[in-house]
Amino acid sequence: MRTFKPRSLVIFFVLLLGAWTNGFAKDETVYIGLAAPLTGDQAYIGIGLLQGAQMAVEDANIKGPVFGLSGIKLLALDDQHNPTQAVLAANRLISDPRVAGIVGHFNSSCTKAASAIYHEARIAQITPASTNPEISRQGFDTFFRMCATDDVQGPTAAHFVYDRLKIRKIAVIDDKTTYGKGLADEFEKKFKALGGTVVSHDGITQGEKDFAPLLTKIRSLEPELLYYGGVYPELSLLIKQSRKLGLHAPWMGGDGIFDVTLIKLATPELSEGTFSTMLGVDPRSFPRARDFVARYEARFGEIGSFSAYAYDTVNLLIEAIRRAGTSDREAVLREVRNTRDFQGVLGTVNFDEKGDAVNQSVGIYKVENGKFVFLEEAKPEVR
Amino acid sequence: MNAALELFIQQLINGLTLGMVYALIALGYTMVYGVIQLINFAHGEVFMVGAYLALTAIWILAALAGPLPFWVSFAALLVFSMAGSALLGATIEKVAYKPLRNSPRLTALITSIGVSFFLQNAVMLIYRSKEQSVPEIIPHVQVSLGRISFSLIQGVIFLTSIGLMIFLTWFVKNTKLGKAMRALAEDPEAACLMGISVDRVIRVTFILGSALASVAGVLFALYYGSVNFHDGYLAGLKAFTAAVFGGIGSIPGAMLGGVLLGVFEGLGAGYISSQWKDVFAFLLLVAVLISKPSGLLGENIPEKV
Repeated sequence: MRTFKPRSLVIFFVLLLGAWTNGFAKDETVYIGLAAPLTGDQAYIGIGLLQGAQMAVEDANIKGPVFGLSGIKLLALDDQHNPTQAVLAANRLISDPRVAGIVGHFNSSCTKAASAIYHEARIAQITPASTNPEISRQGFDTFFRMCATDDVQGPTAAHFVYDRLKIRKIAVIDDKTTYGKGLADEFEKKFKALGGTVVSHDGITQGEKDFAPLLTKIRSLEPELLYYGGVYPELSLLIKQSRKLGLHAPWMGGDGIFDVTLIKLATPELSEGTFSTMLGVDPRSFPRARDFVARYEARFGEIGSFSAYAYDTVNLLIEAIRRAGTSDREAVLREVRNTRDFQGVLGTVNFDEKGDAVNQSVGIYKVENGKFVFLEEAKPEVR
Repeated sequence: MNAALELFIQQLINGLTLGMVYALIALGYTMVYGVIQLINFAHGEVFMVGAYLALTAIWILAALAGPLPFWVSFAALLVFSMAGSALLGATIEKVAYKPLRNSPRLTALITSIGVSFFLQNAVMLIYRSKEQSVPEIIPHVQVSLGRISFSLIQGVIFLTSIGLMIFLTWFVKNTKLGKAMRALAEDPEAACLMGISVDRVIRVTFILGSALASVAGVLFALYYGSVNFHDGYLAGLKAFTAAVFGGIGSIPGAMLGGVLLGVFEGLGAGYISSQWKDVFAFLLLVAVLISKPSGLLGENIPEKV
């Protein structure tokens, strides 16, 4: 017979205790699902979003329990800025009953692909940064967005180029994504409607490095301005390579290029004079945001362009959960829809009937001496 | 000179520059395939690490030495990056592939994909996920003839690549190790019986291939002025295409394949549509594989390496 070991008895009880606490004590933590590109070549954006969201959750937990004895936690999943992965992430998030609402995704293509899944699961989805207008035209009552859309941003840019810069002949390039192509198309449509000439519209591939052939072609068409729909890593290369080929027309882009890293990568000299539109106001110029930016930068280093959006989005969702007093998805969804004058660090947020932010203001910036300098705020025309 | 011809020559220069970089990476794929019949998917990542090592060397130089003539710093970058990547290549071979030498080929292939993921994410953790800007080491000087421009960095890319290709051809043809590599490629068992140290030759192959890829990485980083931990993926894929296109296992094939692929891509993107740039590259591959399955310079019973 084997000798009796007291140690095995202890292990047995520990295991039993574990099973008991797991099975009987109800986990009252509310989870907020976050989906963004956390790996891959756009990880820097996803990580910026995640850090903004983390700060919002920490603030909420310091403020006190949301209801009962529970706290709030973040469940962050990676969508690799790939719509297929976005759908997988969405399915994982909705299959976890503790998740009360979704913050995400970043890329319009991902947000759009995942929106149908969230709609079916009756869970509120708030995107901090996807700007493609088609997403809210699908008629999903679960979809909300914090930022201006490309059918405002693109035409605003077109007006600026035509009316203010008095430029009539441009070339357009986009990165073939839902976001980049959508923005470039809206810009082109308006610019043509105003009477301008678009000499070419080409697509490039994200992650590509060599654009010399395309730029050589465009150089021979002699445009006065180059509009780019996409994100800044490619634009930084486009700027550098165009200057080396002797193509000196200024560049312009949307919120995806609005990042100081663009200037660092393209060098301040070569990026001088580049124009950008950006959603809403610059957090650094906005008094309420200044405190957030300072806290963020003290903790994580340089703030991402969308970190403040993520912070506001998570806070809005937490407020809705507090008002609902439950993590029930339908109740939270109702409260998100009932949001009135949410006070975020970037301003007051209201949603229209499609779920889009009512405040659609767009700022226009220009790179001067290695910085994005605010030129003017364009109030959108009525859509 | 008329404008159309100028445009064509400029596009040809654009394509050749890219093609040289593809060719340098493709050599590593083809050499490793030649000796152990492994498609080393981690090779693109070695190239990317080479680019990051160049960036690190620039930082170190700036901190320690201050301004130097550009060719001195360029040589220092090359030495630093080649040494680091050669070490990395040898380590990968020892840790990941050597234990699998006698397993089915698929096992090693899948392992190489794993190594590739590991390297990508390791670099992401070390250097952060943002695109890093590479300071301009080689001054921006260019000669212009009409609207054709040719810059100093392009000249450096051409000279370095062609020089290395000549060196490699000489090495494989004339040195004892090169001969051992060819023998191993032809018949591993016979080579072993002749007293060739198989392990040593394989290690040297990895070291050489990795060093060449890292040179491509240095040139790439300096030419484009920015590096990203994800850069190895697309460049690796294109170089792999070039190696297969030229005939995998054949060294002149990899050189020819790389250069042709770059030119083909450049002309396709310049004259037809940049949206279809990658499509041209892969169409070319499909066309060659259909008409000549062993690649341009590959033979049916290939003298590998």
